[in-house]
This record gives sequence, C-alpha cells and structure tokens, in this order.
Amino acid sequence: MINPTEGVKDDSEENYGKHASNLRSQMRRGMIGSNTECAHYPCHHQGQNCTFCFCPLYPCLDPELGEYVTSRRTGGQVWSCQSCLWIHRDDVTDSLFKMMPEIGENGLDERTRSDLKARLEGKHRTKAKTIMVLGATSGAGKSLLVAALCRAFRDRGLKVAPFKSQNMSLNSMVTGDGEEIARIQDLQARAAGTRPRGELNPILLKPKGGVTSQVIVEGRPYKDCTVQEYYSQFVPDEAPVIIARNLERLMRTNDVVVIEGAGSPAEINLRGRDVANMYVAKLAKADCLLAVNIDWGGAFAYAVGTLMLLDEEERKLFKGVLINNMCPGGGSLGESLDMVRRITGVPVLAVLPHVPSLYLPVEDSMDLDQRDDGDGTTVVAVVRLPMISNFTDFDALSLEEGVKVIYARTPEELGPADAIIVPGTKNTVQDLLWLNESGMASAISAKVGTVPVLGICGGYQMLGRKIFDVHGLEGSGPSEIEGLGLLDAVTHFDSYDKRTVQVLGSLADGGEVRGYEIHMGRTERLEEPLFRLRPDGREEGSWSRERKVLGTYLHGVFDLPAFRGFFLSMIEHRDAPKNNGTDHDAEIDSSLDRLAAMVEEHLDLDSLLRGDGDVP
Amino acid sequence: MATFRRLMIQGVTSGAGKTTLTAALCRHFSSSGVDVVPFKAQNVSLNSYVTKDGKEMAISQAYQAWACGLEPSADMNPILIKPKGNGQCQIVLRGKPWQDLGPGGSTPATIETLREQVLTAFHNNASGRELVLIEGMGSPVEMNLKDKDVSNMWLAKATRSPVVLVGDIEKGGVFAGIYGTYLLMDEEERDLLKGFVINRFRGDGSILKEGIEELESRMEMPCLGVLPMVRFSAPAEDSLDLTRPSGNGAGSGDIRQRWMRELDGVLEKWEGAWDLEQVRRLID
Repeated sequence: MINPTEGVKDDSEENYGKHASNLRSQMRRGMIGSNTECAHYPCHHQGQNCTFCFCPLYPCLDPELGEYVTSRRTGGQVWSCQSCLWIHRDDVTDSLFKMMPEIGENGLDERTRSDLKARLEGKHRTKAKTIMVLGATSGAGKSLLVAALCRAFRDRGLKVAPFKSQNMSLNSMVTGDGEEIARIQDLQARAAGTRPRGELNPILLKPKGGVTSQVIVEGRPYKDCTVQEYYSQFVPDEAPVIIARNLERLMRTNDVVVIEGAGSPAEINLRGRDVANMYVAKLAKADCLLAVNIDWGGAFAYAVGTLMLLDEEERKLFKGVLINNMCPGGGSLGESLDMVRRITGVPVLAVLPHVPSLYLPVEDSMDLDQRDDGDGTTVVAVVRLPMISNFTDFDALSLEEGVKVIYARTPEELGPADAIIVPGTKNTVQDLLWLNESGMASAISAKVGTVPVLGICGGYQMLGRKIFDVHGLEGSGPSEIEGLGLLDAVTHFDSYDKRTVQVLGSLADGGEVRGYEIHMGRTERLEEPLFRLRPDGREEGSWSRERKVLGTYLHGVFDLPAFRGFFLSMIEHRDAPKNNGTDHDAEIDSSLDRLAAMVEEHLDLDSLLRGDGDVP
Repeated sequence: MATFRRLMIQGVTSGAGKTTLTAALCRHFSSSGVDVVPFKAQNVSLNSYVTKDGKEMAISQAYQAWACGLEPSADMNPILIKPKGNGQCQIVLRGKPWQDLGPGGSTPATIETLREQVLTAFHNNASGRELVLIEGMGSPVEMNLKDKDVSNMWLAKATRSPVVLVGDIEKGGVFAGIYGTYLLMDEEERDLLKGFVINRFRGDGSILKEGIEELESRMEMPCLGVLPMVRFSAPAEDSLDLTRPSGNGAGSGDIRQRWMRELDGVLEKWEGAWDLEQVRRLID
C-alpha cells in the first residue's frame, strides 16, 4: 500500500497511524475556512479552505486531481496533491465534513475512501463542465447570455465562474484585491455569485488611442503594446500560458465554467492568432453555443457563415445556435431554422426573446453613440470624449427620476445641459487637445457658475490648471498642457504606476460614497476636498463651491444615492430635486434574475449541463 | 428587356451601407456623364419625402435622385412601408396611400399585386436612361420571407441585374456574414452575385488580406472594395442611422446642397479603396 504521509510505497503501520491521528485532530478542530495564519498559506490557491489540510481521501489516485511525482527525499514515486484544488473548495469541504465517518485506528480503509469520494463526486464535479458562448458579431448578446447562464446555474446550487480569456474594453473596474478587470466580467461574477478577480479575465486590453493598447494581465498593468506587437509577440509567446493557467484553475475549483468568446470566431484574417475564441473552446473542450442577434437582419447568414468558415473539428464543438433578441410579433422563422441545420449540421437550440428594460452596464462605445438614457427633463450632458472610458459611471444617474443623460459631442449639444460631466478617458492629453479644438472647452467654461460641472478621473485632470507629462506617458502629446483652469489643481504623470483601488468614504455632510480609482498620474489640489475616505482619512477630490465645479478620481461615484442627490441638488430650477434613492445593486440583481429566468424558460439547461445539448 | 444597364446593391444586414453605397455610385456615374437613375422597390421608413407632383416616397431615394442630378419621382421607390405601431403598417404604393396591413397581412395575392406594381414602376423609371442602380432591402437571405420578397433576389432575377453584396465590418464577423449570405443563396442567385464590398473599415487594410483572399476563392468572385469608415451627414433612413453627427454647425444654406457636398467628400475618401473599373465591367 501507499504510505499516506510520505506517499511512497510503504506498508508500515506506524506511518499510517500518524496520518489517522492527523485526520482525527482535524475533525476535532472543525471547519476552519482559510487558515491565513499558516506559514504555507496559500499552498493551493487564494481563498482556499484549509479544513482538510490532510485529505481523508488520500491517496485517491485520481489523475484528474493529482499525479505521481518523484520524491525529492526518497527518489521514489510519490502521489502528489499539489494540483488538487477540489478538497479546498468551501462547498466540497462542507459536504465532506458532514459525510465523514468515524476514523478508526488505521484511518479510513480503501473501500471507505472510494465510497466517500464517489458520494462527494455525486455532489461536486472534480473538473468543471465548460460551456462557451460565442457570437457571430460583436453585440450578439454574448456577455449577457453568459451572465444569464451563470445566474441560472448558481440558482441550481452549482459553483459557477465566468471566464473570458481576452477582453478589449475601456470599461474596467477594480476588485477588492486591487485587480483591474472588465466591468462586464465583474457583472458576470456577480451573476455567478463568485468573487470578481483577475483570473476571470486574465488578459484585458485597453485601447489608448492610435494603435496602442495597455495590456492588463491577471488584473495588473503589464505593458503597452501596438496591435502589431500584440499579435506577433504577445499572442504566440505569452498569451497561451496565461490563459491556460487561469482556465485550468477555474476548472479545478468550480462545477461549471461559462466562457465568453470575443467578437466573431470566424475572423479568417486572424486564423491562428485569435486566442479568445476557438482556441479557448478547444483548450476547455467546451460545449459551444453561437449567439446571433436577429435585430439587424441577416442573422441566418451570420450563423451559417460563421460555422462554415470554421474547420470540421471546431464546428463539432457547437451544440447549437441561439437566435437572440427576438422581438414580440417577429413572425415565424420555421424554414430558416431547418436551413441552418441542413447546411451546418448544428441545430438552432432556441430563439431567445428580447428582454426589455434591463438595468445593466453597456459594453462598448458603439452602443453609447446610439443612446440617451433616462427620460427626464433635467439634462445631464456627459462630454463624449473620443477616448471615453468608464461610462458605466452614469448608469446610476440615468435611473434618477426626471434625469436624462445625453452624450454630447458638439458645443451646441451642451446648450440645454443642466449639468455637465467630463468623464474618464484612456488618454487625458489627447482628449484635452480635442476638447480645445472642438470648441467644447470654451462651451464648458461659458456655463461655469450656472450649472454644476463635474470631472471624473481624466475629466478631473482636465478641469485643473495644468497637466505635466514630461515622460510622454500619455503618448506623443506635449509635455506640458494647460487644463481648463476651472479647478485649482495640477496633475503630474510621472510614473507608469497605475493606481487601482476600491475606496469607501463620505461626503462633507456625512453621506456615504463608494467607488474605485483607476488612473495614472497624481493631482495636487488647493481646493476644498470633496470626500474623506476611510480608513485612512485621506481627502479626495476638489470642490470649488461658488463656481459649482467638482472633480474626483472615483469611478462609480454615482452608485450610492448620497452623491447623486448632492450633485443634482446643485442644479437650479430642478423640479422637485428629490432623490428616488434607487438601489443600483438591487436593480442589477433583479435584471440578472430576469435574464436567468429567460434562459431557464427557453433553453434546456439540464441537457446543456449533461453535454447532450442537441435536444431542442 | 430594355436597353438600359442595371446594377443592384444588396446588404448582409440592415444598415450595412447599401443606401450610401448606392448614392455614391449614383454620384460617381452621373458626374462621369452617365444618365443614371436610382431604384429601391420597397423601403421601410418613417422619413418620407413628397415629390413635385405630390407623391410620397422614401427620402433616401430622393437623396439618391439628387445624387444623380434628377428630380425625385415616386417610381424610384414604389413601395413605402410606414410602421404605425401595434404591428400595423401603412403601405404607400407608387406615391399614394394604398392600404394598412397588419401582421400576416401580406397574402400571396397582395404580394402578386405588389410585384406587378414594382416591375411597372421599375420600367417606367428606367426607360430612356442608361443605367439603373437598384438598392435591395435588409438581407436577401431571410429564408422565411423569400416567398414574400419584392425587393431583393426576386427583383434581381426578374430584371436580370448583377448584384454586389455589401457587409459592415464594424460589428465584426463580416466574412461570416458575406459567406453565409452566399451559402444561403440558390444556384441562380449565386450566378447573379458578382462581387462583395466591405464597408466601414478602420485602420490598415493589409490586415484583412488573408481573409479576403480566402473568401474570394471560396465564393469565386472578387472583393470590389474595402471602404473606409466615413462620418458624414445624409438624410436619416431609420433608427440605425443615429450614429450620424447632428448639429455640427455647418451654418445656413440648403441642406440638400450640403448633403451633396458631403457625398462628394465620401467619394473622395473612398478614392482608391474600391475598384470602379471592375464595377463598370459588371455593368457592361
């Protein structure tokens, strides 16, 4: 037999007895969760449950969980649990703890162990089922379908995580651990009931203007790349390892991983260089679903074309096509549905209805150009900077009664504004130049004093007197540039360091504020501060009280009602400037629940989980 | 068939750029001295225009008429569908309100009538001209709508018009959209399809090279152009056009003259991005 403490082949009773006493003392200690005090923590993964430091199932000899390695001490073969994350999941630990029988003199015999393992596997998969949603185009509804599936699986009591290997987005957010991920993955994590973290979106590209993007790896700024460098160096040399290690870990710690593709998987000019679609599908052996938006017409052409441009092996991974966004009264699609299957061999699994009035963040700026949010008479104009980022900041504002958020490109569009916001940007210097050239800067200055003007992040930097970028960190712009001079503040870009942190604090009147900072550059201010942050009492933001000009680095600043009320109260003549106190978080959760209910109704989730999705 | 030549522009989706591409071709041919006229069998739009003789038509075809240097005429757009809400639509037929149709209102007899009217208008409109540029509607391969088609492949077949397919690259998946449209066509339709165009491209076109070559070989037809994204003002056809700039203060003056100046600007920006020689060969 195998010696359970050493792993080597060894029949000595003495060694086994030692293991048995470890198991008993561990049961007496009870459920302990993460033992962060332990010198070895985290020996498997962050947030691991340490209750079963010694595994009662050892050695399970299950190649899905562990492997034989050569012992450094004896040179013999040892069963290693290093890669096993299963027994350290909270839910698995919990179930096993309840199942544990009395531990005898010699520990648990082989039969008991294998019975226990079988029962445990009945409740928790050792390796996650992987389901991937790909889109025939951008805007096919992938992101929300992934969120819907995550929520539906979570509601079935499964442990779920979303995954997107590579995302290009300017709407990012900062997790509790200071990691930066796309806001949409944060939403999916929320849908899944799992902690948002870099692992869920290990490569995030943030376009900086021109052909350069900042590459964020596992939540941390990694480097700047041009498109050319990204595809010729980063993709072949670095991306595979990054994607594999994060995906593998998620698959070992969840029952289901719902993966999102990026754009279309059939960009045939990028064959072999796309690490966001079929590459991941094959790696995860995922059951794939192709989402097609029916709203623009040509949906069946996109479905058929996408599948037929993939190779045979790739096409076989597809369990079905999802026709998305069907409007009521959209007519019968009968003939078209058959045609898809006849040509591609892949059935249309469902026609999913458009879910109206969802309160969820939008993903990219393409959508932004087509929307004005809210239906009120109080107009809040957000300046539509060319490199606008984090415009999800304004979702909560548009939910206020009587408020309409518009995205203004021209000085004329600022005319009717009752309040102006200069939002975040991926490139402060370039967008400040645009603000001056387009006449927006003087239009904003002309309204100062009459309407409140708020700058957020890059917008805050622009409202100040000056910006120094002596190292050219914002690209090839000037090294020193005049701001709008509406706030007595000066910004320096003096290092590549990026501040990414979640913050909590309060307004002068005590109202709660919550947000996150994502920026390079630091701002020296002489104005009154806007917020006092906890726990360190740091003062944040600038407030020129008489001129009604405000600036802050906090994204998500409108999410809690206090600052919304404070900002809107500065608008004169605002009809009943009452704050409807809508709870942003609750609205989002209820939208996710509605989406989950929609997929439950239209998709056979049981057969999807079994992997025989081919049953319409 | 009459002596005039024909070319039809169809799109992979709504909003792929058919209207602009057709208008640009109208402008191009008319400024090189060709007597060209636009035609779109059916348009769904609430933005209509009234002709000198008091008939109603879609503003997009009026715009294309101006691009040809012509006075708009209702036979350039014989069917205009004006959604009234609740699934009801007013059908304007050859410039005059004809009847309201609800869901499922288009019976085979109705379609038969509309097809006759379309062909009559088509010939009235084209007779005596050198070239008709026909715009399709939506996607030509909505299989569930094929027997009700009055504006896409049915018309191309009935008028034996060569077809160019335009796809919008901005939303991604353009290769799939074009190839899938081709795959869903029958033999006769594929014979009429002569080439494709990629619209709204941003960046360095060399990045598309391999994809275009693969598509050309799969479909055995040429890519006639990769047209750069241009922002310009033109009459809004429907809600998909909200991305166009508004109120950018170009001052007073006749908006139609400005639309034409901007269309000339589009032609300038597309210079070299499409193969107009090959397009001309398709027509001859």
